[in-house]
Order: sequence, then C-alpha cells, then structure tokens
Amino acid sequence: MPLDNPRSAGLVSVNAEKHSFRVNRAAYKSKEVFEEEKRLIFSKCWLYLGHGTELKKKGDFATRRVGGRDLIFIRDRDNEVAAFYNTCTHRGAKICRERGGNARTFACPYHGWVFNSEGKLVSKNTSTGYDEHLNDDGHLDLVRVPRLESYREFYFVNFNPKAISLKDYLAGACDAIDALSDQTEAQQIILTGEHSYTVRANYKLLAENSYDGYHLVSVHATYFDHLRETYAGTPAAHVVDETIRSYNTRGTARGLGMGHAILDSYVPTGRPVAQWLPSLGLGVKAEIEAKYARLVERFGKERADYIAETQKNLVIFPNLVINDIMSTTVRVIEPEAPDMMKVTAWALGPSDESPELRAMRLDNFVSFLGPAGFGSPDDIEMLEICQTAAEHTPIEWSEISKGMNGAEDLRSAHGAPDDEVQMQAYWTQWDLVMRGIETLEV
Amino acid sequence: MSSNLTRSEVEDFLFHEAELLDDWRLPEWADLYTEDAVYEITSPSSADPVASDAANSLFLVSDRIDRIRARASRLMKKTAHAEFPRSKTRHMVSNVRITGSNEAGTQIRSNLLVYRTKEDTTSVFMGEVRTTVTREGDALKIHHKRVILDLNSLYNQGRLTIIL
Repeated sequence: MPLDNPRSAGLVSVNAEKHSFRVNRAAYKSKEVFEEEKRLIFSKCWLYLGHGTELKKKGDFATRRVGGRDLIFIRDRDNEVAAFYNTCTHRGAKICRERGGNARTFACPYHGWVFNSEGKLVSKNTSTGYDEHLNDDGHLDLVRVPRLESYREFYFVNFNPKAISLKDYLAGACDAIDALSDQTEAQQIILTGEHSYTVRANYKLLAENSYDGYHLVSVHATYFDHLRETYAGTPAAHVVDETIRSYNTRGTARGLGMGHAILDSYVPTGRPVAQWLPSLGLGVKAEIEAKYARLVERFGKERADYIAETQKNLVIFPNLVINDIMSTTVRVIEPEAPDMMKVTAWALGPSDESPELRAMRLDNFVSFLGPAGFGSPDDIEMLEICQTAAEHTPIEWSEISKGMNGAEDLRSAHGAPDDEVQMQAYWTQWDLVMRGIETLEV
Repeated sequence: MSSNLTRSEVEDFLFHEAELLDDWRLPEWADLYTEDAVYEITSPSSADPVASDAANSLFLVSDRIDRIRARASRLMKKTAHAEFPRSKTRHMVSNVRITGSNEAGTQIRSNLLVYRTKEDTTSVFMGEVRTTVTREGDALKIHHKRVILDLNSLYNQGRLTIIL
C-alpha cells in the first residue's frame, strides 16, 4: 500500500503471522499527529452534532463545538434542522454566546447585523454606506456547514463537501442505531440535563475504553461490589458472579465496517427496555415485561432478545459513543489537544415510558456513568495514567492484540466480549484515513 | 420538631459534616443521614437547579441512603481508582441561614467552597447547599442535601469523585 502520508505511516503495526496488533504511542501524544488528525480525521469523517429531539420547537438552538469548529445547531422557522458556523459574516464576532435557547433571530453584538433562523442576513443595522445589491448572492448570510445529514434523529456534520453519504459512512452502525431506536414505537428523546467534563488524555483513549470488555472486572471492581450489595437478599443475588464468570462466553465484540464497532455483552444491571431484575423492584416489573412482549410481537424473539437484553457499547468512528447499557448514554468526545478532551454526555430514553421507569433509567445512569458515578471516574483515571505514561516513558508501543484473528479486513472482525478486535477495527480505519488511502469521498 | 434550632447549632452540625469529609471519615459521614435521606448534586447545565427533579432530569449525583453508604464505603477502597491515592480536600461552609421549618425538618441554606487536590492538581468546587436537617433522638440528621454548583460544566475540574 502506498504511504501517502508519511507522518502517520507506521503508527499502526500489524503482524498477521504473530497475531500482533500494535499502536505507536506517538498517536496519543504527538502534536504533529494531532494536527494531521484535524486535517484528515476531523475534516473528512462524519461528526456527531446533536439529536433532533434536543430542538423541540421552531427556533430552538444549541451551540456546539464539533471537530474544533463552533457551530449553531438550530431548528429553523420551516422546521428544518440546520447547522451554521457561529461567526458573523461581517467582521467575525461570535454571534451566539448562549449554550442553547430559542431565537427568531441572532443579532451580532459587535455592529448589530441580524440573521434569521435560516441564516439569512436581514439587517446591517445601518441605512448608509452599503451597495443595496451587496448580498444578492447571499455571501453575507450565515455560512452553513458543507454537509448535514441525519440517521434516525442523530444529526452529523461533515466539513468535506465531497464526503460519502452519512448512511454509507455509518455502514453496519445503522443496525445498532436501529436496535436502539426500535426500543419504542414512540420516539427516543434526549432527556434534560447533561454531563460536561474534561479528561486529561487523548480522545482515542476514551473511544477505546468505551467498548472495552477486558477492563470490566479490574477497573470496575467497586461497581460489582455495589451490585452485589444491592442484590443481596433478592433472588438476583447469585447473578453478579455468574455473569462475571460467563462474561467472555456470551456476546461478541465486532467491527461494523468503516472503523465503527460494537461490544455486545451481558452484565446484570437490569435494563429499562427491557430486562427486569428483582433488584429493580416490583413497581416497574409489569411495564418492563410488557415492553419485552411488545418487542417480541414486533420483531420476533431473536431480535427482541438482542434489543432487550444485550448491553451494547457502540463507538462510531472517530468520537461518538452510544452506550445502551444499564441506561442509555450518548457521549461525544471533542479533542482539545493531544492530551486533553472535552466530553459531553446525555441520557436518551423513550418518550412514552412511565415516570417510574424514567426515574429508574436516570438512577441507573448516575449509579455508574458520568463524572460523579461509580464507574466512569475510574475509567477516566485509567486514561489519564495511560496518557502520563505515554508522555513520560520511552516505551513506544501499546499492544492491542487480544483476539486478533485472520480476518481479511480487521474493520469487520469478530471476537469475544473481552477481546480487542473492536479497537483493531478503529485503529485500522484511523490508519487508512491518516494515510490518505481511505478518503471517505464519493 | 426541630424549628427551635439556632443558627450556631446548625453551623456546628454543618462544620462537623465538613470535618468528617476532610478527614475522610466517610462511613461516619454517611451515618449523618436519615434512612429516607437524599444527597444530590444537580447538573451544572440545569436551567432551574432548585426546582429540578432527578426523576426526570440528569443529575451528577442523586443518592438515596443505600447509595450514600455505598459511595462512602467505595471511597474507602484502594480499588476506587479515581480516588487512589486519595485527594486532599478542604470544605469551607459559610453564609449559613435557617430559611424555614416544617414537618420534614429545618431548612438551611449555606455557601460551599471546596478545594480538592489530587496528585499535584488542585480544583475548586463552589456553590450553594440546601440542606434539610431533622432531629433523631439527641442527634441531628440530614434528611435532604442538594448541592447547586456555580459552574456551567466540569471542564475545569474534570471529575467530581469527592463528596461535597
């Protein structure tokens, strides 16, 4: 294969004979690599912007930083979702300084130019000095991102006008999003409240961690202690240790094409849709069982079981995590520097669930997830000590070989839940994009 | 009922809670809570953190007594990796006011400033605390504690693994 981009060449090293898959730690710490990622990964891949249900009414907007670009995500007065760069076309001031809200127009605070929700320049706050035809070609309207597409209300942007369609990009990840969206016949919605935090580590370390089944028992020992205590005295008391014992024999880790991958596994947390456990209490039993029965009616038992009982940790290359586990989180990772990321996470849930089940879903979420949960902070500590060691030891390589097999394209390899084939899928795509071999263009 | 509490009794109690936290005597801290207690930290992004409800919006922390105790016992373990080695913390409680009293107990508002140092990095958590305390026998107990941070995110703090 041609090494079109020598700067990134050789950072992923594969030895098929030895079943060895290694990543050079420069990929986590080098400023040059980070700049190349901005130019290639974050300018060619589809990047998650937000969920359509965050914008309930016409004029609802949220400001977001996506791949280093400040954007306005808005539902305009024709009910169309749009994405604009958050800058005045006049002299460049940021036109919207709020995190979100509802607006009919945006007035630039600097000289008072006014734009409507479709981005049209409607006032220059003066009657003199401008040719009346100056904006006939619309070049002074708010600038739209080159591409904005959605799949089942998940909106993504692409800064490359020639990019392949979102659906082609998502490849096998569409099925995983379907399994999540099909949990309800109503709508999956983003719930109020968000977790925004930083991790002092390279963004790819969190992508790797988000579907890593291998770390579960070591890093999350205290969470399993908590589950054991919670289940003590209930008929589910034996489930925790049984599940840990059988963890790597049920489920799979598998590449979904294009660098996306999913971990399908079984962990005894109970699931609002739709797996009842005695620890969840009798109050929600009937509703959860009814949801399961309805899934069987709609999709047959095999698919219903997959939707209802399998814990799904999905990473959409390069920086979107959708973990449908004890609760469902949509987590987007924004790289700030080689050694710093910003994370924003939301809870997703069906619009038609009962208040009791909604409360249980959110309680499950904060029990494990987020910067103050019993799980995520221990993950974060691992990422930060990996980063420090990458920067302050001369060891060049990380070994990500577990479960490596003879798959021709590692982006669609399958392995056991505690294997590392999902990361091999990620890094294979990363390498191909960074070397300019995978252009992601039509 | 506890409507006859004075501000200095309430202050002594809140200062005692802060001392237990800074001394990492966390099981004793958990013992300050009633069986029906709730300990909460709202999401920094919340538009209305006073009225918001953990049953329908995402909080940072929303613990009933089982998880209050579990949080305390978890943080005593070496395997709570996020707090190993343990942080050093300093809780400053000020502006204590008794704002009301009813059958649930005495309502208190106070300001909170917490410094947390982990390894060589210090971060600051600041905000308001709304506490409801009640008498159980001779002891005061916390029935409800809600921390409302003066933050928009945890971008400067990273994570929130200490107890506020």
